[in-house]
Amino acid sequence: MEFAAFTDRAASIEAEAADLEIVALLAEMFQMAGPDLPVVARFVQGRVFPAWQSATLDVGPRLCYDAISRAAGPNVTADDVERKLAETGEIGTVAASYEFGGQQGLAAFGSGETTELTVAEVDETLRSLAAAAGSGSQDRKVDTLFGLFNRCSPEEARYLARIVLSEMRIGVGEGAVRDAIAEAFEVPTENVERALQVSNDYGRVAGIARDEGVGGLDATGLEVGRPVQAMLAQAGTVTDALDEWDDAAVETKYDGARVQIHRKVDGDAEPASQSTDISVYSRNMEDVTDALPEIVDFVAESVDVPAILDGEVVAVDDAGDPLPFQEVLRRFRRKHDVARMREEVTLRLHAFDCLHADGDDLLEEPLATRHDRLSAVVDDEAAVSTLLRSADPDEIAVFEADALEAGHEGIMLKDPDSTYSPGNRGKHWLKRKPDVETLDLVVTGAEWGEGRRAQFLGTFLLSARDENGTFETLGKVATGITDEELATLTERLEPEIVAQEGREVEIRPSTVFEVGYEEIQRSPTYSSGYALRFPRFLSVREDKAPESADTLSRVERLAERQ
Amino acid sequence: MFQAIVSASTLRDALDSVSVLVDECKIRLNEDELAIRAVDPANVGMVDLTLDAAAFESYEADGGVIGVNLSRLEDIAGMANTGDLVHLELDEETRKLHIQIEGLSYTLALIDPDSIRQEPDIPDLDLPATIVVEGTHLDRGIKAADMVSDHIGLRVDEADETFHIEAEGDTDDVDLELGRDDLIDLSAGPADSLFSLDYLKDMNKAIPSDAEVTVELGEEFPVKLHYEFGEGMGHVTYMLAPRIQSD
Repeated sequence: MEFAAFTDRAASIEAEAADLEIVALLAEMFQMAGPDLPVVARFVQGRVFPAWQSATLDVGPRLCYDAISRAAGPNVTADDVERKLAETGEIGTVAASYEFGGQQGLAAFGSGETTELTVAEVDETLRSLAAAAGSGSQDRKVDTLFGLFNRCSPEEARYLARIVLSEMRIGVGEGAVRDAIAEAFEVPTENVERALQVSNDYGRVAGIARDEGVGGLDATGLEVGRPVQAMLAQAGTVTDALDEWDDAAVETKYDGARVQIHRKVDGDAEPASQSTDISVYSRNMEDVTDALPEIVDFVAESVDVPAILDGEVVAVDDAGDPLPFQEVLRRFRRKHDVARMREEVTLRLHAFDCLHADGDDLLEEPLATRHDRLSAVVDDEAAVSTLLRSADPDEIAVFEADALEAGHEGIMLKDPDSTYSPGNRGKHWLKRKPDVETLDLVVTGAEWGEGRRAQFLGTFLLSARDENGTFETLGKVATGITDEELATLTERLEPEIVAQEGREVEIRPSTVFEVGYEEIQRSPTYSSGYALRFPRFLSVREDKAPESADTLSRVERLAERQ
Repeated sequence: MFQAIVSASTLRDALDSVSVLVDECKIRLNEDELAIRAVDPANVGMVDLTLDAAAFESYEADGGVIGVNLSRLEDIAGMANTGDLVHLELDEETRKLHIQIEGLSYTLALIDPDSIRQEPDIPDLDLPATIVVEGTHLDRGIKAADMVSDHIGLRVDEADETFHIEAEGDTDDVDLELGRDDLIDLSAGPADSLFSLDYLKDMNKAIPSDAEVTVELGEEFPVKLHYEFGEGMGHVTYMLAPRIQSD
């Protein structure tokens, strides 16, 4: 597929407002994509790599502006590109405003013919960016991107720039891609959905739906070593739980970081504990294996069959009592000084679910069965969560009091008959915390402070995602932040500024705040239609990416319930 | 098989001329010379390098190809003093390059040559003008152009028999005029092309200031820059595609 054909269609989708029409256009594009189908299914979401892969292009906005300015020349600088971006607010528009192609290639003078860009070529070139590393690699990345832009028409440049910066913004969410795969290849949406849940790869599932149909989709299973999204809980009460279910499975809610552990067993290793083929992923499916050596050691020792475990890593003090969440984050995602931090912060694993054990996918099994398999697989009782089955509110209250007494965050209430649904925040898992709910919101803007705080970003504009992945504003937070935090936040957010007008700046969605509030009100002031009353900053959610921040529908639910 | 001894400065000059365009390259270990050809990721600039067997203290090779990470190899070569000799030996079994400099041994893992971008065909160009100029003149022209623009014009005035290095900025202009007396040789012809300074600056970095640079030029055509190093036994040709002149 020529890249121009892709961008033509992307433009028609962007111009279309009706969801059904968008799905129809997408389906048509998938049908004509031929061998490029997997790539097209990722590109429409602004992705080059499937969600489960940790690989990223590693291309910052500035590098992209550099490449654009070089292709745009003569005498256009990266600063010019940034200024234009501040005016238009969107990189695609900026890229499309230049006339590229001034630089000729050597091929035009030799035997080689200059050919049109293809989707496959763009994909291959972008992947080579991710692979490039080393001292000269930044320059080489600019060269490579420049080479691509230089061959782009304005329309191609618009979407290339957006793919490079993962900001596709053509109104295509994950649901639309799922529905379009179903429509294009005449397979049921539910089967597509299930295959997506276990594989986390829209490109691959699109290919399977077309080439192998329903049979292929259903045969798509978990793979040890390829993370899936974690099942999530919503807030709820014991009454909610016991109204819905015969009895509840009650567990401690740990104040730690969610992990998914993939244990492979190398057939040659005897005993199995000698095989250390173990990966640990965060709830964003980021590979955090290297930061958590003792968890890897523990799993090597106590699990000797292939398995996928779900659990929480908690920091503990010398007496074994839990420490606050912030302590875990000192270890998470750390690349340097792992050994030293291991001395300072002790981590403990609490496994509470098992997605795969010794060749069996367990997603469709009830929770109670999965927990039994978990106990069988992990050869250390202390690391497996205690599950209380109870229909008695008083008994659950005692359990909760004990959990809080021991320094934990609260309790989880789970439907013992429920299956494991990756990525879903369903009503089968309820979390009960004694304090009020908080929201995890994405920072999409800010204001420079005044007076003493003039060199800091002071007030932060917060947004929630709607189902298309667009960020809708919901309020501004300026309280609860210390001067020291302001400095750190400014340092962190300043490089993400995409546009500035007066004291107000627009910020690329990259950072998630946990925010407390008194009440959610209906309000025309913000684009979400809601506003937070008395918002206060609690912390930066280092473990959350903007895509996993709270959604507008959660905000709506919370608003209804108060 | 490959086994060679070469002076550190010759090796560094060779590597520098290639590393301004690419991070990785294939090195052809021919019987009578070592050869590298590479094109930058945007397919705009190319380098063609040969280093004769005579440039080495000793040289034995039988036509193999290896892939190397250039910055890694440059770092190692950077450990040597100018007068030092560098011993290179390919281990066919492990596909590693053993490098020895004054008691320092380094084993360099090689890259699969098939994973490196394919070498380009050299466009067969018959360019009408040839200018032979000292590296230092070229350097002066490029530095001046860089003050006002990100592009540089190379032009021959046939009537005046002069070579011009010029640049137009948003507000300021620069023109370095080199007449017959300033040049080592000039064979005038219709020649006027515009180039990206990003590339030319990088190529210029690798050209020794005392080198004689042969510039072959046409109208809206690629430029060829040829120079020698290693006492005339190393040969580098750069080729750079032009930018379209807008007005």
